[in-house]
Amino acid sequence: MSRLADIPIRIEPATSDGGLGGGVTAILNEIVRLLERLASLGEPAAIDLRSLPMSPQDRAQLQRALGEGEVQATLNAEGISRIQEMRVPGVWWIEHRDRQGELIAELLEVSRVPEILASASDEIAAGARALREQITLGAAARTR
Amino acid sequence: MPNDKQDVTVGEMLRRHGISRRGFIKFCTAAASAMALPPIMGPAMAEQLINARRPSVIYLSFQECTGCLESFTRSFAPTIESLIFNIISLDYDDTLMAAAGAAAETARAKAMQENFGKYVLIVDGSVPTGAGGGYCTAGGHSAVDTLREAAKGAAAIVCVGTCASFGGIPFADPNPTQAWPVTGIVGDKPIINVSGCPPIPEVITGTLLQFVTTGKVPDLDEHRRPKVFFGNTIHDRCYRRPFYDQGKFAKSFDDEGARNGWCLYELGCKGPTTYNACATLKWNGGTSFPIESGHGCLGCSEPNFWDKGSFYSALSNPAWGKAGETSPLEVLKIAGAAAVVGGVVGAASAGVGRMRQHRQEQRSVDNEPKGG
Repeated sequence: MSRLADIPIRIEPATSDGGLGGGVTAILNEIVRLLERLASLGEPAAIDLRSLPMSPQDRAQLQRALGEGEVQATLNAEGISRIQEMRVPGVWWIEHRDRQGELIAELLEVSRVPEILASASDEIAAGARALREQITLGAAARTR
Repeated sequence: MPNDKQDVTVGEMLRRHGISRRGFIKFCTAAASAMALPPIMGPAMAEQLINARRPSVIYLSFQECTGCLESFTRSFAPTIESLIFNIISLDYDDTLMAAAGAAAETARAKAMQENFGKYVLIVDGSVPTGAGGGYCTAGGHSAVDTLREAAKGAAAIVCVGTCASFGGIPFADPNPTQAWPVTGIVGDKPIINVSGCPPIPEVITGTLLQFVTTGKVPDLDEHRRPKVFFGNTIHDRCYRRPFYDQGKFAKSFDDEGARNGWCLYELGCKGPTTYNACATLKWNGGTSFPIESGHGCLGCSEPNFWDKGSFYSALSNPAWGKAGETSPLEVLKIAGAAAVVGGVVGAASAGVGRMRQHRQEQRSVDNEPKGG
């Protein structure tokens, strides 16, 4: 089945001179502010891309302006999520998809490491307990 | 009793279904996005929900087309939909439930009794009061009686769709069944209107989720719609807005302007007077929304959208108005504008929209049926 994006429709960009659209410049300014905050206070933040009225051209412009960085991560939980570090350090483009591959959330996270990648403290403790149990069971089996 | 399904927390339900913490954070991030909360709230919301009890939800369908339920069940695709059903305990929905007849009605009575004062009542469809309520009956009870009975023990009522919220198509002139929105029947309960024909799936689930997370009725606008979803007009958030501001309009559906993706204002788009989240949340898993597909907004989430004249008349067109209203052209004259320029037309339309809205509210209040 062809998708909407496959149907060739020419959409005229809001700015004809090839410069950045007003919306894209505003987002970039916001990112600068959030990066400065992260650098000085260590506070992470995020921008919800789906809440912004952006044309496909605006998106492409924003992606080009931020560039691709070194780290790419894939998260497989209730569907695939793609996490891409941008060329600007501390900026992560995160796409969450469900099991059907539909985009359910898209955000720009400004942080050292995206929060969803870090392991949770209680799960780490539970994991340590489970691993200790596994070792004990293994040792018991060897002595039998 | 710990095994009682209402006593099971959301976290326990998720564990039983093998859904990981990251999977749930992802869902909450998507939900936070739908609720226009800062996306950084996703993990915090997940934490709060994991310890929450699942509220009982009773879904009543009256004079409706089931389009709203179709929309509801398409929220975030089936996997996430199953999550939604982990978060609430849907105890009665005559379309979705396996039980039928007396067994279904018994299940509803039981859920209402056990959760009296705590359950969330969802209403889909308008309520006909003509012929003693006889236009819509189930199990020998009229819709109006069922609603009054079910409303007594509800913590809050969520009206899903324009019919339950504002009467919708059944309420449209000449309203042969004397249909009413829920607000015309029930007066003493918190009522949240989630309008739209149908509403956006994520707006329905987002409203429910917000209620479950906070236990409170969200901030509502003057039509009792959650402000997080209905705080902006389609026009305010439309990606074609720059063309409107530049005065670039499509004049027909197949002209150069339409092909260039210019503003659909002159083709009857009701975006400037319609409050909804279509331009940002979009439809079908965020694929697009009517304007992105080349068609103007019909204004389906506004009261009486069906009686407002042609969907294809511009908001500035005097033919769109009815006798007794100040014509938008007169407003234009007052504004001293000779040309049809975006900003001025917008202001004129907004003024007419407000006048009309006021009159319709008046109509609703004046004709409210007695009792309930």
